[in-house]
Amino acid sequence: MKIREHLPLVEAPESIWASIEAALEAKERRRWPSLRWRLAFAVLAISMIAGTLWWRVASRDHWIQTGANAGLTLRIGDIGSVEVGPNTRVRVVADRVDQHRLDLAHGAIYARISAPPRLFFVETHSGTAVDLGCEYGLTMDADGAGLLRVSRGWVSFEWQQLESLVPAGAECRIAPGGGPGIPYFEDAPEAFKNALKNLDLERVLDSARVRDTLSLWHLISRVAPGDRARVFDRIAALSPPPEDISREQALKLDPETLRRWREELAWTW
Amino acid sequence: MLRFKAHRPPLGRPLCAISIVVACAAAGMLVSAQAFMFQIANPVAAQDFRFKSAAFVFRTVGCAEPAKPEITGRAEGLVNGSRQSLALKIVPAAAKPGVYAVIQNWPAEGRWVVNLNGSCAGMTAGAVIPVGPKGIVRESSKLLPHAASDAEVEAALKSAPEQGESK
Repeated sequence: MKIREHLPLVEAPESIWASIEAALEAKERRRWPSLRWRLAFAVLAISMIAGTLWWRVASRDHWIQTGANAGLTLRIGDIGSVEVGPNTRVRVVADRVDQHRLDLAHGAIYARISAPPRLFFVETHSGTAVDLGCEYGLTMDADGAGLLRVSRGWVSFEWQQLESLVPAGAECRIAPGGGPGIPYFEDAPEAFKNALKNLDLERVLDSARVRDTLSLWHLISRVAPGDRARVFDRIAALSPPPEDISREQALKLDPETLRRWREELAWTW
Repeated sequence: MLRFKAHRPPLGRPLCAISIVVACAAAGMLVSAQAFMFQIANPVAAQDFRFKSAAFVFRTVGCAEPAKPEITGRAEGLVNGSRQSLALKIVPAAAKPGVYAVIQNWPAEGRWVVNLNGSCAGMTAGAVIPVGPKGIVRESSKLLPHAASDAEVEAALKSAPEQGESK
């Protein structure tokens, strides 16, 4: 092509070189963050690592407090995990192969544990939740009132001499300074739940279903001795006990009799 | 005055009476002996943490040796109009002879019933158990002194809840 032979030669203006140099410098900056940014990134990374390490150290015997919009998951050895809900204050008291123990001051947790019974414990102001191989949610307020709700397996909630055995599908209110209440199935009629809450024995016995023998079985050791026979007889009417369950021994609250009776009743729960 | 000659009564009468008594006792025993049946429950009844996630647990009653009945089962289902049948996964409870857990191996969709069959010393038992999203539907479960018929299984399947429905 000979066209270019006819094009005039013109020198490029200085501004073009300046803009080219500026573009080259900008490209260089994008490839390599400035020293300031690199330092900032390093500080952030170190802070995160340090923060994680601090939490792991601090969580042992030190309180964890989650914020209003944040939760976290605690790994419980090799046996499960605990989801810690927002606005919850909890600490790890023990983290051993033979015992894992949390202290829940207030808030909500959900535990998923796959282990033999009595390896995982959650202490509260109003008693201790003892895992018997289960999944459950536990909510406590700062005054010590709470609610235990079991999704799978069993949980024992213990306070002084009181014990409530709560199976899957049931829940149990916890009273400040009073320990576990009488557990009841979530699908129990409202009339039954209200009667239980109001300690109206007459209505409790009248409105109980076969499945509510869970609650009646717990009642038998908590009512006045003079009322035990009425509770026993109501349970027997709903679910006849096996021949080897002695009425006399049950009314005396013989532990072995009550245990075998509960295990049989569980076949109707 | 009449004198009655003393004589010994025939030997057959006491023997006849004894035979009647023995026969009645035997009949009584037969009547009061417990029939061979299944008993079903939610997993907590097994008192075994390993079964907490089982679909349900069951045991047999009326078998002289609780660990000896022969038990088979299938999960029968209807998924999107298509009929399915799966062999059940049945796990015995090591600590409690005669107690078994059924581990869910059927899909979490459609309608499903569990069909159990058992035999013990010539006796048979059956159970058709609808399973819903919250576990067994006890009220609709059929515990039978015989293996369930196809008609019984199909009838239970038609009324079983969808796995995604609440009972």
